[in-house]
Amino acid sequence: MNKQPLFPERGPAFWLTGLAAAISAGTIGLLFVSLVVESVPVFKSEGVSFLWGTDWFAGEVYGALPMIYGSLMVTGLAVVMVLPFALGSAILTSEFLSGRVRLVVKAAMELLAGVPGILYGLMGIALLAVWVRDLFGLIDGNTLFTAGLLLAVMILPTVMTLAEDALRAVPGETRDTALSLGLTRMETVMQVVVPQALPGLAGAVFLGLGRAMGETIAVMLVIGGIDRIPQPWFDLFASGQNIPSKIGREAAEALGFDLQWSALIALGLVLFVMVMTLTTAGHFLLRKAR
Amino acid sequence: MNPRLWKERATILILYGLTGCGCLVLAVILTTVIMKGAPALSGEFLFEESRNFGSEGGIFYQMIGTLILMAGAAIVCLPVALGSVLFQTEFLHSPPLKKMFRFLIYSLNAVPTIIFGLIGYLFFGVLLDAGVSWVTGVLILAVMILPTLHVSIHEAVESIPDHYREAGLALGLSPGQQMRAVILPQSMYGMVTGTLLGLARAAGETAAIMFTATAFSGVQLPQSWTEPVTTLQTHILVLAQEATNPKALTHAWGAGLVLLTLVFILISVTLWIRSGMEMEAER
Repeated sequence: MNKQPLFPERGPAFWLTGLAAAISAGTIGLLFVSLVVESVPVFKSEGVSFLWGTDWFAGEVYGALPMIYGSLMVTGLAVVMVLPFALGSAILTSEFLSGRVRLVVKAAMELLAGVPGILYGLMGIALLAVWVRDLFGLIDGNTLFTAGLLLAVMILPTVMTLAEDALRAVPGETRDTALSLGLTRMETVMQVVVPQALPGLAGAVFLGLGRAMGETIAVMLVIGGIDRIPQPWFDLFASGQNIPSKIGREAAEALGFDLQWSALIALGLVLFVMVMTLTTAGHFLLRKAR
Repeated sequence: MNPRLWKERATILILYGLTGCGCLVLAVILTTVIMKGAPALSGEFLFEESRNFGSEGGIFYQMIGTLILMAGAAIVCLPVALGSVLFQTEFLHSPPLKKMFRFLIYSLNAVPTIIFGLIGYLFFGVLLDAGVSWVTGVLILAVMILPTLHVSIHEAVESIPDHYREAGLALGLSPGQQMRAVILPQSMYGMVTGTLLGLARAAGETAAIMFTATAFSGVQLPQSWTEPVTTLQTHILVLAQEATNPKALTHAWGAGLVLLTLVFILISVTLWIRSGMEMEAER
């Protein structure tokens, strides 16, 4: 077979689309490069203690541990809370509901996945924080728990639709075989379909986690905004801080070039690495499932 | 009675319970926004500018600001997304390069939106010298919605049947003519749905623009390139933090309802177009 040349013809169409491709690839590349380059100054001045330090006073010392802790805690909390509901409704929708109902549910979930984060934030600050405060007898309802709960609600539609897709990807013959062997429908689902869809289900959860970890505005309004690790560390009903919220709160005052700006970008880099790990794992698992 | 049957029924019941809880929460969210937002809506609210730090007047310029930012972002993004998809599908024949391009787009989709604000301000605000302005916001949002448009258009182009292309090639069309006569008309719906979803994403975004493109009060239409706008998203953000002032809070819910309606319309139209396409494919 003839080896095709890399670019067969170079008319105006080639250059025009090539320019667009160069712009998009260049922008993305530049974004990643500057994320790394701009965070160099703070790593130079703080060293690795940027990652382990527990104190953050703008202009003096930058330690990101409370924010990293907050991000992990809130995201972990969200996934624990969303898991039973998302998987339960995904299994029900994919295996037990009729085709028409299924389409309606999917459409509703896609709509809900598009609800702007600021609306969750408004709900969080005006309602959820107050409920949490009264229900648990706290002085301040803006806690890590509140943020985790809000995120769980936010990612429910995303995780549910992706998990449902993963279950649908298991071929129908598998189900027929299991049923013909005398398994009940539920046994078929639990012992045959779910194990086969497991990578896809895990992928759905990872992608949801990535979204939860990067969400800024809703969390910012209900997390409390205090840069410390609660005492004891597992006290979820204390105010905390996560990375996006920290960036969101300080970016307006730090706009510019000094060390604080670099520290915020370095926080962004840490966040990006964590989110990227989750989503890459998610995409990998989803692809494996197909 | 058969214990297996009981187990079966119990599990299905649990599934219905879990699903019901999930649906209930989401239904509560929607009704809350509607119930709390509806009392604020009126002609005055929609068509007057906000006064007294948002607790009086309306949200006219906030709506305009949101529309400017999302429309601007889509206008900037669409040609770039379309061009890079076409380059990727029509001219790029090396699998590793294609793979790398896909990876870049996917990783851009994973970037938390607040990072677009940080880095975007650095480039558009500082280097382009646009400062905190609507131009900075448009450009940042354009980068942010690039993956949404790109993926949607790419899927549409990829799903064009091979014999359409072959027919074009058999007629001796050059790649440019092929694009104009075959690929663009056949993938039009991908462009439309991608743009609508991108618009919805841009309209719902707050974090990336709150410190790069917007101001809270005293802003009307931007008169120059370097002026900030005010948007529904950031308006809600500021009002929400005044949770003690019931009037401001009512206005926040009202603005929220308007924003939600806008986003839902955009997504619904997308879903409607898509389901139409699917039915056509099944015929």
